[in-house]
Amino acid sequence: MTLSRRSLIAAPALLPALAFDAQAQVAPVRGGTLIYLEQQTYSNLYPPAGGHYPAGGVLNQITDKLTWQNPQTLAIEPWIAESWTINADATEYVFKLRPGVTFSDGAKLDAEAVAKNYDTYGRGNRELRHSVSEVITNYDRSEVIDPLTIRFLFKAPSPGFLQGTSVIGSGLVSPATLALPFDQMGDATKIIGSGPFVVTRQVLGRELVLNARPDYAWGPKTHPHQGRALLDTVRMIVNGEDSVRVGAVLSGQAHVARQIPAFDEARIQGRGFQVFAPPTRGVNNSITFRPDNPLVADIRVRRALLHGTNAQEVVETLLSPNYPRATSVIAATAQGHVNLSDRLAYDPVLAARLLEEAGWTHGPNGVRTKEGQELALAAYESPNYARSRDTMQLIAQQWGRLGVKLSVLAGDLGSRAVDSLDPAKTPIAPAMVGRADPDVIRSNYYPTTRNMLLQTGGVSRKVQSFSDPTLNAQLDAIASEPDQAKRLALVAEVQRTLIDQAYVIPLFEEPQVFAGSPRLRGMDFEAVGRPSFYGAWLAPR
Amino acid sequence: MTRHLAQRIAQALLVLLAAFTVAFVLLQALPGDAVLIKFLGSEMGLTADQIAELRVAYGADAPIWEQYLHTLGNFLRGDFGYSIRSGVPVSQLLTENLPSTLRLSLLALAAACAVAVLLALLSQVEGFGWVRAVARSMPSFFVAVPVFWLGIMLIQVFSFQLGLVSVIAPEPWEELILPVFTLAVPISAPLAQVLIRNIDAVFGEPFVAVARAKGARHQWVLWRHVVRNAMPPTLTMAGVLFGELLGGAVVTETVFGLGGLGGMTQQAVANQDVAVLQAIVVLSATAFVTISLAVDLVMPLLDPRLSRAVSAV
Repeated sequence: MTLSRRSLIAAPALLPALAFDAQAQVAPVRGGTLIYLEQQTYSNLYPPAGGHYPAGGVLNQITDKLTWQNPQTLAIEPWIAESWTINADATEYVFKLRPGVTFSDGAKLDAEAVAKNYDTYGRGNRELRHSVSEVITNYDRSEVIDPLTIRFLFKAPSPGFLQGTSVIGSGLVSPATLALPFDQMGDATKIIGSGPFVVTRQVLGRELVLNARPDYAWGPKTHPHQGRALLDTVRMIVNGEDSVRVGAVLSGQAHVARQIPAFDEARIQGRGFQVFAPPTRGVNNSITFRPDNPLVADIRVRRALLHGTNAQEVVETLLSPNYPRATSVIAATAQGHVNLSDRLAYDPVLAARLLEEAGWTHGPNGVRTKEGQELALAAYESPNYARSRDTMQLIAQQWGRLGVKLSVLAGDLGSRAVDSLDPAKTPIAPAMVGRADPDVIRSNYYPTTRNMLLQTGGVSRKVQSFSDPTLNAQLDAIASEPDQAKRLALVAEVQRTLIDQAYVIPLFEEPQVFAGSPRLRGMDFEAVGRPSFYGAWLAPR
Repeated sequence: MTRHLAQRIAQALLVLLAAFTVAFVLLQALPGDAVLIKFLGSEMGLTADQIAELRVAYGADAPIWEQYLHTLGNFLRGDFGYSIRSGVPVSQLLTENLPSTLRLSLLALAAACAVAVLLALLSQVEGFGWVRAVARSMPSFFVAVPVFWLGIMLIQVFSFQLGLVSVIAPEPWEELILPVFTLAVPISAPLAQVLIRNIDAVFGEPFVAVARAKGARHQWVLWRHVVRNAMPPTLTMAGVLFGELLGGAVVTETVFGLGGLGGMTQQAVANQDVAVLQAIVVLSATAFVTISLAVDLVMPLLDPRLSRAVSAV
């Protein structure tokens, strides 16, 4: 089973936490204020925009979901929905809701409210600029059967929907919140959920204060903690400077901080502090080709670069053991993962041979040429990913030894957005997405969604002709195959296609890394690594 | 005087319109736009059709002159619009960020002035040649210290090591101690330089020689004649620096996690958040114009010759 494998790899990070839990047989302390440091501020709290980590970190404390994805087993367990039934072709879902749940503005969380949430997330709202949630596909409508029973109907099979009801993007908010236009949802005080914490104070861009809801009594039934949150208050403070966040935790000015540089992990653990590295379980940190660009249209060139990339060196020089080397397009902790490491071997001799076969011969400047053209590629770094610039530059060195030039661009966000749609300007791009459902691989590569390979039929008007109907048919099937075993088989097939066609060079599995005080207990992470403070508490000094 | 004031105000309005227009044009010249940056980003995973729909809803593809007139019209009515990136009204962003920036800038400027005056006086000390030399070389040193490094060092030493002040969740009284110091160091440098140079220059003027010939002592000449005459250029400099501080404290704000106009500006530029940026440009242009007007009005009090020049206009 892939999970046990992963927990072995993650063992160095989890050990201190376990050790603390073992010595902490004392009863959890109730009350107190926890200080949490974020690297960036949230930019919009419309729940389907919760994929942005800073937003997800807030939404996870203030909203509940219909179901709870157990972060250990990835099983979908009851939360606001006590039970559910799904028809055979996954076009009809019926959920029975837990009675007595209310939003913090007093509104009832009943079938009406759930219907309003899902109609918005499933269909969007043009007038209020609410967009459709990425995790809900083929949504048709909802039917309120009675105040505690709701049915969802789909236009086509939607097997990913059940997992979709458990993610942060499906956080349930009060009807009053859904009446707000998207342009006002960056104000956390207006986001009313039913979660264990409520927003009490906000200094935009600087601090958000959450207080425990005293009457909260509807946490997931299988969660180790029940009842109201243990902490009274969580102060989420933004500080963009890595050294300040790390120093603040080490000096006791903060209790936990997100986004910890890999090179600080050993120092933090060495001083008896905790490092948490929950996995993101989605598409690995990787390099994606845009085969529409003639330079990388030849599979031999792509395969040469795949075998000319030393991912092990990236992990060893730039990262830590919390970033395992990738063994496929998706993480070993993702559902449907197949280990393809034998097809990802670093082999510079093979790489050079493939380039020669493709007609790229050594030119005068150390860069290979063919018919007078240099094999010179460019890619933007992606500041949201772990050590993106350093990773790309190290790969540029590795490729340089093969005679392939890679320019790593920084550039402003606007240029990046425009150029990333143009395969002529960005023949390759770094990519990574966290989500614990097999659908993640489809949404990353399908032309009308994230379209990482830049096929025709997507947002970009710059793509000339590249399209891979075989791959798209496989991706399509993942979205609509109701049988879980068959669905996972399709996911395996897609991974093989992506590697055999050398569309993707997987590099490493990217966790979310947090540093925590030795006093911090009960800290929890949802399936893709956003923090949950529901069961957290601070041991006495 | 009234006529002069009216002229200055008319000038100021023209400057504001020009700033608004130039900022708008420059933003349009950048590749991409706010809607593309916000929604193409991987955080929401929208489909091609959904992005196209949002572009229509935000009017992102409307002709530039139409977008310009629309934004200008809204501004004239006092409606700054919404930040596409942050999802809040621009006015809310301003009211939450402006006070902390003003507080930080004013305190930093006051501290910088104190340091500059101190250095200038030390540079004129009689005897103690080495004190004069040190005081004179300090401004170049201050300018050379990277603000980023200084901020982090102060935090590491005074907060994390010695535990004297808290930077993460500080009390109101301690919140600004380190940031003000961090900002005051580079700001005091040009002030001190200008002041020292002017004091030196004024000491060479004939009227100083006359004052000395009458038997005035060094201290008396310095305070009574020299400093007073050396002040006006320094004041102009201080006005310009204060204007820069309002939007230019990004590094300090980031390192100390203070929030403020600097970081807001940087984010608005990076994300091409037009509404926010236009508001900031108009605001800072207003600040610059007001400050320089204020400096012009104060100047004649220091140097009566200037008021004659003004009334001659």
